[in-house]
Order: sequence, then structure tokens, then C-alpha cells
Amino acid sequence: MDINLTPILTSWPFLLKALGMTIFVSVMSTALGFVIGTLVGALRTYGGRMTNVVLGFYVDSMRAIPLLVILVWTFFAFPLLIGASINAVTAGIAGLGLHLGAYVSETIRAGLTSVRRNQMQAGLALGMSRFQAIRTIILPQAIIRMLPALGSLFVIAIKDSAIASVIAVPELLRQTQIVAGKTFRPFELYTAAMLAYFILCYPVARGVDRLYRRLSHLGSS
Amino acid sequence: MTAAPILVFENVVKRYGALTALAGVSLTLHRGEVVCLIGPSGSGKSTLLRCANALDPLDQGRISFDGHEVRSSETSVRLVRQRMGMVFQNFELFPHLTVLRNVTIGPTTVLKLGQAEADARARKLLAKVGLADKETSHPSALSGGQQQRVAIARALAMEPALMLFDEPTSALDPETIGEVLSVMKTLADEGMTMLVVTHEMDFARRVANRVAVFDKGRVIEEGTPQEIFTAPKVPRTRDFLSHLGWHGESK
Amino acid sequence: MTFDWNIVWSSLPRLLDGAWMTIWLSVVTMLLAIPGGLALALLRLSGIKPLAMAATAFVEFFRATPLILQIYWVYYVLPAYFDIQLSQIATAIVGLACNISAFNSETFRSGIVSIRQGQWNAGLALGMSRFSVFCRIVAPQALMRVLPALASTWVSLFKDTSLVSIIAVSELSYVALQIRAETYRILEVLTAMAALYWLMGYPQAKLVDWIHHRFKVAE
Repeated sequence: MDINLTPILTSWPFLLKALGMTIFVSVMSTALGFVIGTLVGALRTYGGRMTNVVLGFYVDSMRAIPLLVILVWTFFAFPLLIGASINAVTAGIAGLGLHLGAYVSETIRAGLTSVRRNQMQAGLALGMSRFQAIRTIILPQAIIRMLPALGSLFVIAIKDSAIASVIAVPELLRQTQIVAGKTFRPFELYTAAMLAYFILCYPVARGVDRLYRRLSHLGSS
Repeated sequence: MTAAPILVFENVVKRYGALTALAGVSLTLHRGEVVCLIGPSGSGKSTLLRCANALDPLDQGRISFDGHEVRSSETSVRLVRQRMGMVFQNFELFPHLTVLRNVTIGPTTVLKLGQAEADARARKLLAKVGLADKETSHPSALSGGQQQRVAIARALAMEPALMLFDEPTSALDPETIGEVLSVMKTLADEGMTMLVVTHEMDFARRVANRVAVFDKGRVIEEGTPQEIFTAPKVPRTRDFLSHLGWHGESK
Repeated sequence: MTFDWNIVWSSLPRLLDGAWMTIWLSVVTMLLAIPGGLALALLRLSGIKPLAMAATAFVEFFRATPLILQIYWVYYVLPAYFDIQLSQIATAIVGLACNISAFNSETFRSGIVSIRQGQWNAGLALGMSRFSVFCRIVAPQALMRVLPALASTWVSLFKDTSLVSIIAVSELSYVALQIRAETYRILEVLTAMAALYWLMGYPQAKLVDWIHHRFKVAE
């Protein structure tokens, strides 16, 4: 078996740009997912019964439908419904963020309910509104407690961004496919991409663990 | 006592399901007065404090604070709570905030005080409770007694008209109880109005103006520390005190 | 824009065939990935340095790279460079099973590690062999802790089978995308696909919640 690194050496600027897109899509979809997840998690924990049922339906649906299906539907079917086209990157970030948001919300919800009830009462006793107490007291503790879980959701977001290749988002996997197709060197290219993802994901996972070890005492009331 | 009443409980009833925690309690606290609530565990003392601060809704009766009824309408309750400091058995400091931020979070989020002003106020209070050097620590680095003193400073930072203490020393190691009680004694000497649930009979005897004895959700006896500790009229009070090993003062 | 939902009814038999393939792939993968994950977990806990390190590398690698890329890799690299000819379905199963084994091994490992050393000692003190302590004392307790995580992995796997559509395995999403290409009824067919996944996946998500609730670890 012969190994030929020429295709990687000649197309690395193209692939580097694709890696940048992977990072961009991962970060944006994580940000979107965390905003959705925090809102949904808090509303399900502290909102009324109807809110919980409606948002629970969203969460469980996202847990039931594959990401690939959500992305394909958002990019190909949704524009027909609204009669306007959406570019692939936007559709990718939206689909990834909506899917991730459901998982983030479950994590946030578990974190919020794990904070002792008396912490809320201590906030109320200072004259805070429930909203103020949740925002300044309960939520920060919940997030610290859930750091490891939220960190692995970020890693999942990076890995899942590769699925956006099916709707032609020009991220790392998609562009690797293009170069592999042109040069007929799939082994070298896919292996290089694999290493790139590993180098991206592995330190994030380890870094979050280390961060958590340093911060965990801030979340234990 | 000629001072004006500040906190009045009238026939307060509170039930948790089938359990009656408060079976009609009436009690009046006057400005500048220190009242200690004593009695067996589960007799309703803590529940009364939680009701005063509207952390638990009432089933019957009425509570008024400074002439206004404490109801569970969100805004009126928040105004009441801003003027009533509360100290919890388990401190309930906010673990993600430094000591200084624990004390300033009430003034900044609720009273909308500027950070600099809140910091200055907090530093003064931390010095008062003897923890000026701990302002950058997090609660997890403090002993129980230190945490409880921070919690007292946090409540005082709202400049309350009244302080509620819910068994403030019950969760402490014996060696740190004294430092918390002495902070409370200082407050009392300065004229702070205080309602204290406690098992520290010595504190009640020395600091309280009046003592109310709870049993099974009722006040069974009320009087000066002198009356309660040297000549209790009700047999249940005598039983309770002797169970604690309190046999009056040896004169 | 007019929609023609009849296309969904006329394509339903093909879609259901695809759904059947989705279920079949999930079951076969899980049947391989449970022993696979257990083997990896035991290798990592074996104390034999080179084996433990190899197992760790395998697990970390498969957990830190995208499954979709792993599938491409297996699909293009095995036949071209190692002269292994696999059908598309076999390729899909190899890719999925390696990935899920890696995740299962973490589940099994943390389940085994969570059983206190005292339980091992108690068994050994009775004169049992390490093997029988594992089988009779540790494994049954670990199973209770492992079940919820396995259930979550199962639902992930069920969803992840959609990724093998990229190598033309005719599971539900591949079939739906084919029908879309043939008929151009994009919205109708893609919505039907999402609905079918929802119908199958929703009860599973609920079942997972129930299992988590039922086997919540009580320390």
C-alpha cells in the first residue's frame, strides 16, 4: 500500500478554510443551542404545566428525529413551505442548533432541579423576584454543575457539524470529499480529516474536564 | 414595652397536607425588641418565620409588618422581604459568588445600588462581623461559623427593619457557635429588632426581651426570660427545659 | 405552491421497507456492540498495559471523531487499501458497531468502576475467584447502572443509522431521498420521512426516560 501526501500538501489552504467553516458552524450552532436550551430548560422547570407540555413535545421530537433528517428537511423542504430559499450555512446552523438545544435543555433542567430549594428561598428572602433569583443564583450554579455534560454537548456539536456536509455546507468533511473525489486519494484525505477532527475534539473534552475540576466547588451549595 | 409593634401575627394557621404546623399563633414583636422562639423540634417555630417572610403561604389568619398585611401578591411581598433580613439554618450562601459578592448581590439586584456603593456597604458589614479579610474567598473556603457571619452581613446589607434568624447555630460545630452568637448579641445591643428561633437557651436568657415557647404549633407560654427560665408556669415548658438539662440558675 | 400528499401513500410500502432496514441495522449493530463494548471495557481494566492502551486509543478515537466520517473511511479505505471487499450493508454495520462499541465501553467501564472496592473484597474474602466475583457480584450491580446509559445509546444509534444513507444502504432516509429524487415531491416525501422517524423514535425517547427514572441510582 502506497501513501501519497501530495493532494493534502497541494490543497491545504482549501482544507484549512473548510476547517475554519467547521469551527464557525460548530460555535454558532452551539451558541444557538445553548440559548434555546437554557430558555427551554428554565421555562420547563419554572413555567406552567402547558409550557412544560408544549416544550416537552419539542424536546422529545428532537430526541426522536435524526439530525440528518432535520438538516435535510430544513434545507430542502422548509424553503418550499415559506416560499423563500435559505442558504446552506444558515440552514445548517439552524438545524444543528435546534437539535442541540433539546439536549442542552435536558441538561440545564437537570442542573436547575439539582440546586437546593433553599437557595431560591435565600434569594427571595433578599427581596429578589423569582426571575432575578433564577438568573443570578440558580442558573449559574446549574451551569457549573453541568459543565462536563455541556462540554460533551459542545464536542458533539463539532462532530455533528460534519453531517451538514449532506446539505453541502462547505465544512471540512464536504471539502475533503471534493478533494478526495478529484485526486482519487481517499485514504490520505479521510485520514487527515479524521486527525483534524480528533485534534479539535479531544482537547475540548479534556479542557472542559479540567475547567470543571477547578470550578466544581462554586456549584455545590 | 411602649414601642410600636412592627410584626404582628394574628391567629396564624399553616398546614402541610394533613399536618398542622401552626395551629393558631398570635404574637407581637415591637420595634427594638428581641424575641426568642424556643420549643421542641417540629413545633412550628421555623414555619412561623417562613410565613413571616411569605416563603410559605398562610392557610388562615393574618400577618402584618409595619402596618401592612403580608400577602402573597408578588410585589407587596418583595417589598416586605427587602425590609426583613433572614438568616437560614444552613447559611444558604451562594457558592458561585465571592464573600463580597454574596453581600452585595441583594443591594445591587434588588435595591439597584451602584456596585461601588454596595461594595463600600458590604466591606463595612464584613468588618463588623469580623471577616474583612475574607472578601475575595468563596464560601467553600470558610468554616460554618464564618459562613453564617457572612449570611448575617448579607441580610444586613439590605438595611432591614427586622431580622429573622432560623436556628442560626444548629448546623454549626460547637467551637464556632460562639462567634455567631456574639455577632447576634452585638446586633441586639445596637437596637436591631430580632425574631430568633434557637436552641441556645443561654443566648435566649441573656439577650431576649421576651421568650415564646412553642409546642405542637401553638405558643404555650410567653414571657420575659426571667419568667420562662426561672418560673415556668406551664408544665410542658418545664418538661422541655429539663429535657435540655436546664434546671434554672443556681443561685 | 400545491402539495400532493398522495405520493406519500403510494410510496409508503417502500418507506416502510426502509424503516424496517433502519430497525434491523440498529438491532444488529447493538447485538455486536454490547459484547464489543464489554470486551473493550475489560481490556481497559485488565491491567495489561499494551492491551489497555490499545483499547483506550480505539475508544478515544472513535468518540472524538464524527461517525459520518468513520463510515466514509471504512467505505473507501478498507476495499482500496486493505483489499477487504464488504457489501454496503456490511460496511455500515462495521462502522456503526465500532462507533457504538466505543461508547458502550465507556458505559460498561463506569458501571464496573462505580461498584465499590468493598464489594470485590467481600466476594474475595468468601474465597470466590476474581472471575466469579465479577460475574456474580459486580456485574449484576453494574447492570442496573448501565441500563439507562445503554438505553440512551440505543436511541442515538437508531437515529445514527440514517448516516449510512451516504453509502447507499437502503434504510429509511436513503429510500426517502431516492423517492424525492424520482418524484420531485420534496416537501411531501421529506416530511413523511421525518414523520416516520418521529413515530418510531418518540416512544423510544419516552421509554428511555422511563428507564432512567426506574433505575435511578440510589446510593
